[in-house]
Amino acid sequence: MMNNKDKKIPISPKIKDTENYLKKRLGIGVSFDLGFREIVLLKRKVQIYYVTGLCDSIIIQDLIKELVNLNDHESNSKKLPEIIENRLLHQQVNQAKTMDEAVDQMLSGLIVVFVDGEDYAFIVDVRNYPGRTPEEPDTERVVRGSRDGYTENIIENTALTRRRIRDARLRNEMLKVGERSKTDVCLSYIQDVADEGLIHLIKERIEAIEIDGISMADKTIDEFIINRKWIPYPLVRYTERPDVAANHLLEGHVLITVDTSPSVIILPTTFFHHLQHAEEYRQTPAIGTFVRWIRFFAVFASMYLLPLWLLFVMEPELLPKELAFIGPNEDGNISIPVQIVMAMVGIEFLRMAAIHTPNPLSTSMGLIAAVLIGQIAIDVGMFSPEVILYVSISAIGSYVTPSYELSISNKIVNILFVIITGMFGLYGFIGLFLVHLIVLASLKSLKTPYLWPFMPFNAKAMLHTIVRIPMPFTNSRPSIVHPKNNYRQPSKK
Amino acid sequence: MSEQNQQLEQNKQETPMTILSRSLLTGFIGGLLWSTFGTVLYYFNFSEVAPKSFVLSSWFHAEWIDTWLGNVVTIFLIGLLSLLTALIYFGLFKKINSIWVGVAYGFLLWVLIYYIMNPIFSTVPKVADLNMNTIVTTICVFILYGTFIGYSISYDYHDFHRADDNKNS
Repeated sequence: MMNNKDKKIPISPKIKDTENYLKKRLGIGVSFDLGFREIVLLKRKVQIYYVTGLCDSIIIQDLIKELVNLNDHESNSKKLPEIIENRLLHQQVNQAKTMDEAVDQMLSGLIVVFVDGEDYAFIVDVRNYPGRTPEEPDTERVVRGSRDGYTENIIENTALTRRRIRDARLRNEMLKVGERSKTDVCLSYIQDVADEGLIHLIKERIEAIEIDGISMADKTIDEFIINRKWIPYPLVRYTERPDVAANHLLEGHVLITVDTSPSVIILPTTFFHHLQHAEEYRQTPAIGTFVRWIRFFAVFASMYLLPLWLLFVMEPELLPKELAFIGPNEDGNISIPVQIVMAMVGIEFLRMAAIHTPNPLSTSMGLIAAVLIGQIAIDVGMFSPEVILYVSISAIGSYVTPSYELSISNKIVNILFVIITGMFGLYGFIGLFLVHLIVLASLKSLKTPYLWPFMPFNAKAMLHTIVRIPMPFTNSRPSIVHPKNNYRQPSKK
Repeated sequence: MSEQNQQLEQNKQETPMTILSRSLLTGFIGGLLWSTFGTVLYYFNFSEVAPKSFVLSSWFHAEWIDTWLGNVVTIFLIGLLSLLTALIYFGLFKKINSIWVGVAYGFLLWVLIYYIMNPIFSTVPKVADLNMNTIVTTICVFILYGTFIGYSISYDYHDFHRADDNKNS
């Protein structure tokens, strides 16, 4: 069945053959959602094929009404195809020469009109996919700024981007992925800004994908184009905000939009892209910088606070005398590293439970969690109060991370830090610190070093990472995307 | 015509002179950053040798060296000395685009400073007399420092020549 991609079947002029072929290939009559309507125009049969649910019935009815009315006004049955084309009152009418094209289009929700005696079919784009209207994405809320977000519809998504960049040089290239699912994948970039090598590389990798279907949309694409093995760190950035996506396009990044997913992939991505948030750019530069520093601090705390504290508990002689008070006042019944790991796993329980718990139950769940883990565990003598304190700070720190993917990977590394530090003490901590940093630095996402601009160091970009520079002074695009056109605005001198 | 201009703009991002000056800047910042890191680790007793032992206490005896001012001056001086290590890396290894060269460079620096040049620094004990914590910590700091400088310089150099390759192909 899949092989007829190569030898394409032309559309037969006999409409009976077409009908039989389609019945056999698509299972019309077996599948309830596929159907056709036969009408007779100027004594010739015309069949309209559709998929219920994917097309707009009102438009189809209007089209049929217009076509049937032909019988009263027209008489030249030889010119029927031209007359029909003229009377298909829609801006998107195309012709298909082969059966495969017709079937593909029909299954995407377009209607196909076959006319008896003709070896081509008309295709009218009356698609109307079930979906929601744009709403603010849950994971990237801002206090000020636009509240529209991408939806599951690729056409709406590219339109949301296009609305922000009306540049004639913005390109939205459509590719198809999935032998069976035939999912639309759109590659967006600004032609005279984005690096051609990068576009070429991404396109090559997307076209090389051979899979039956990509129901998990963007995630599957991400796994095919990025070679990550078992590294938990997110090597691409997702966003559901059109303003963030448009801003990255202007910087010279490339976007991948996948149909059926509201998350758009931004390429190339570095570690520090995952620490940015639209909110910073909606506030004054000073506030943006403040917010960013607090966030960096929180992310650092979520990584290193627990293992450091554990280290100081295990080897109190490390503490300078001003800080000698750090450490549990009384030894608990369970050793501290085990306590920490247990508490961390407990917090993960809560986090995962919070995702699945229906809203009415979540309040009571929070209550149980607070009382159970917070108070009773201490009273019973399982946890020392400090463990709860530091595990909580570390957990809150990980929620501050704007990228969900990054916060989870940091969490894994954090647990690893606690275990290794618990086993090997100072050697374990400092050794893992070194290995972690070197592994992160050696990661590459589409030939882009992951820790850029920190390692390899780039002073200007690092400044832009640490400080939220006011827009009028952001004259050039980040060098990491190798923009063809470096200047965002004429630099004032 | 305009197409060609854009091509040129993409390629002329960095000239060789700015590559060198950027490498020196990387060296300076690297020196500041990792000597700060080393000072913090000394404060938390990870290491019994402070960065200031190498640049200040071995040479001068003054009250202020033991205050925070001593640390600040140390960090700045190491930043300046770091220009030299960046220059050496730039001269010798810039063409090898691998992070591991930086790692090795950092380790070699450690061997050079702690083993070979040890007699110069009067306040730094011999490696045999250092405790294990100090050795592990200082090796890690030096490796991170070497990686920071080495990887940055090599990447910068290759990034610049990448543009050349594009022009030729």
